[in-house]
Amino acid sequence: MKILMLGWEYPPHISGGLGTACEGLTTALGRLRINMDFVVPRLFGEERAPHMRLLAPSANQIVANVQAHVRHAEESVAAEQVGLPVLREVSVTEILRRVMGGGAVEPEWTEVAQGAVQEASKRIRRFEIPSYLSPYLKDVPHEIRQKLLRAIERQVAGATIEETGETLVYGSLMETFEHAGSKLPPVMQSLLAASLHEGSVSEHYSGDLFAEVGRYAAKVLALIQDRDYDLIHAHDWMTFPAGVALKATTGLPLIIHVHSLEYDRSGAGANHRIEEIEKMAMEAADTIVAVSYYTRELIHRRHGISLDKIQVVHNGVYTGSAVKNYRNETQLNSKIVLFLGRVTFQKGPDYFVEAAARVIPHVPDVLFVMAGSGDMLPRMMERVSELGISDKFLFTGFLKGQDVERMFSMADLYVMPSVSEPFGISPLEAIAYNTPVIISKQSGVSEVLSHALKVNFWDVDQLSNLIVSVLKYPELSTDISTMATEEVKRLHWDAAASKTVEIYGKTLGNFHAQAGRG
Amino acid sequence: MPSVCYYFQVHQPYRLRHYPFFNIGREHQYFDKDKNAAIVRKVAHKCYLPANRAILKLIHRYGERFKAAYAISGVALDQMAEYAPEVLDSFKELAATGSVELIGETYYHSLAGVYNEEEFRDQVALHARAMQRHFGMRPRVFRNTELIYNDRIGQVVGAMGYKGMIAEGADDILGWRSPNFVYESTTPGLNLLLKNYRLSDDIAFRFSNRGWSEFPLTAPKFANWVHKVSGNGEVVNLFMDYETFGEHQWESTGIFEFLDHMPGEIFRHPDWNFLTPSEVLDRYRPVAPISFGRTVSWADVDRDLTAWQGNNMQKGALRQVYEIAAEVRSRNNPAALDLWRRLQTSDHFYYMCTKWMADGDVHAYFSPYSSPYEAFINYMNVLTDFRQSVLRLKPHKEAVA
Repeated sequence: MKILMLGWEYPPHISGGLGTACEGLTTALGRLRINMDFVVPRLFGEERAPHMRLLAPSANQIVANVQAHVRHAEESVAAEQVGLPVLREVSVTEILRRVMGGGAVEPEWTEVAQGAVQEASKRIRRFEIPSYLSPYLKDVPHEIRQKLLRAIERQVAGATIEETGETLVYGSLMETFEHAGSKLPPVMQSLLAASLHEGSVSEHYSGDLFAEVGRYAAKVLALIQDRDYDLIHAHDWMTFPAGVALKATTGLPLIIHVHSLEYDRSGAGANHRIEEIEKMAMEAADTIVAVSYYTRELIHRRHGISLDKIQVVHNGVYTGSAVKNYRNETQLNSKIVLFLGRVTFQKGPDYFVEAAARVIPHVPDVLFVMAGSGDMLPRMMERVSELGISDKFLFTGFLKGQDVERMFSMADLYVMPSVSEPFGISPLEAIAYNTPVIISKQSGVSEVLSHALKVNFWDVDQLSNLIVSVLKYPELSTDISTMATEEVKRLHWDAAASKTVEIYGKTLGNFHAQAGRG
Repeated sequence: MPSVCYYFQVHQPYRLRHYPFFNIGREHQYFDKDKNAAIVRKVAHKCYLPANRAILKLIHRYGERFKAAYAISGVALDQMAEYAPEVLDSFKELAATGSVELIGETYYHSLAGVYNEEEFRDQVALHARAMQRHFGMRPRVFRNTELIYNDRIGQVVGAMGYKGMIAEGADDILGWRSPNFVYESTTPGLNLLLKNYRLSDDIAFRFSNRGWSEFPLTAPKFANWVHKVSGNGEVVNLFMDYETFGEHQWESTGIFEFLDHMPGEIFRHPDWNFLTPSEVLDRYRPVAPISFGRTVSWADVDRDLTAWQGNNMQKGALRQVYEIAAEVRSRNNPAALDLWRRLQTSDHFYYMCTKWMADGDVHAYFSPYSSPYEAFINYMNVLTDFRQSVLRLKPHKEAVA
């Protein structure tokens, strides 16, 4: 079985849990002998993924693909001369169109294309890849870009514009994207158009996530000409447009994997456009994989997707790497209660602060630590001083690497009061440092972790009660951490991979059954 | 002439209310009256009343040939009297037939037998008086909480005048020997009735298990297994929780039909009868001495105390409730003594058990808490208030962070 996986990041360059989860899942899938090509927007050269082919759609790769097809076309022409069946429409544009569109080719286009066969193939052999095409679509000189856009607007790709090597490739790619775009839902078309017309030339747009997402989709379309896949597996909303576009152009079945929803991150302030992309992809997908029953339910409620279509695959955990214990390094006598994560709406930092205010009068030597940064940080700092608990409450700002390890290891209790947490891997990290955890019931991880204290995120009374109890009754800490450590060892990725393979099988089965009926 | 000996455990703990840390020093109501009342009434309706009716019917149908025995904890009796008096009346009606024996135990269904001998003797005496008061009979045979037994407990019970005890027929204690005989304990004059756990658990645990190769269990099939003991055993001890009937095995499983039909099937062999534990001890001589070198219970496959004192939380909670024994007992304050004793009920510690979860197995047992950790927290908060507010003791040194 060969899977085309679409991801947004891969360790070690990650911004959140998505890259780590993709690494865990694909490694375990590799052990099950699943053949995977994994496409990310860019590679940094430090990635280690011996279990699969890790790809980033660079100009080199795209052009190499085009050249391969041209060679194939030339061989076909040669074959024709000795009387073998050949592929006639050998313009670069048409090759891409055929590969991606898969549909019937209009007769008038065939004529144009046939005339261009010899010319095109000659030129393509002279191709040199201009440095400004690397990374693809970045830093294209303004005048070339304008020329291309004008050409596209006249819809004469490959015909009337002055064709240099680079414009041919660039123009044909764009034409193809637009061709693919017409098969897509409106929200996708606008995304692709934005990526085409705005490019990444202007600084203003370089930070626009939607443009990034659109470019990723366009590049994936250009890169993936090989239809030798069984299905497409896309991780989170940033790759959903690419997944949907590929499904539309290749006809392959699509599985989308929801690691988190826009609603988890932003609650009532959810970005409407992202939610639209999520919903569009969920409707287009053959199967949806959710990282928890919590997320499955949320998908059903937010997007009205039938529960039958949503399967649950809980994340696994990496354990085994020896954990350095820093506890002895500290001279601190206080008991540390830790919040570590983004200080944003989703993570419920405000409930942590309110609970601290209730606990502090009852426990003389406690220190509450909020490690992380985020848009709610200033408000949290203000609230702590308002409550008059500044001497028992510490803000560390954003921590990374060894500082995170040190923090986990020094903590006597880890609290994750998330308002909405699709899975939540950080409590499992805390457990690896023998730290007991309190987690909100509004989290996926609470479905797989029984040796933890659980609370509704809004229940500050109960949260405070649990915090005091852990600090006051030493047996509680000992028993929870001992049992939790054992439990976490059983949450391995192999179980997640087996379940995923099962879902691949079912999705393919349904897909072919439907194709058979159609 | 072999016999079947039926013994049922009847017990309901006083469950604690939700008692957060911040209640300490402010709130001294520890028990969840509404929940306890609701549970006692529910169990009365599903189990106690219909099962008592069934037993009464059997006594009327078979006369002298059918007998049964109960151990009803004092805390269960008190709650019946308060929340479901018709159940107490129905047990009185059974006792009045003369075919039912009441077995002794600790009033509070506690672990005092393991932790405090003096306290244990007081709770046993308290229970005996309650049996006398409610049912007009003094127990002659004793059953400790959850069949917890070792030679030392036997010695204490023997010294209190009991002529026999009920215990688990644990494999490692019996070895090659059969549970289907009376044995002599290491205390002279105290004989033991050992539970035939295979046949007992066929009814109590496996009756409605569709995955069991013997499913469905019919009265003739079961009687056939019992009859096979003829010739190499004298008594088949069927000991189980009374809630087996209607609560653990729902009415819809046919458990009440089984209860009704099984004795008749046993009596198809005319030499078989039912006896109460006292009658068994009067009728059959012990075949051999037997020693319980370790503490045995009827819980789980381990048949030990790990369900109540297997982890640090349980050990800590038990240590703390028993370390104030001398203090509470010396106060001469019946209300404080009763409160403290209700906190000794074994269920509180059972709720803190984590071993079910060790292999990811979801053990089907009833607990009012969503996790053993919450059970511990709630208990410790209550106990801390009891020490500080009722006994006015200084905070426990380990309870200070």
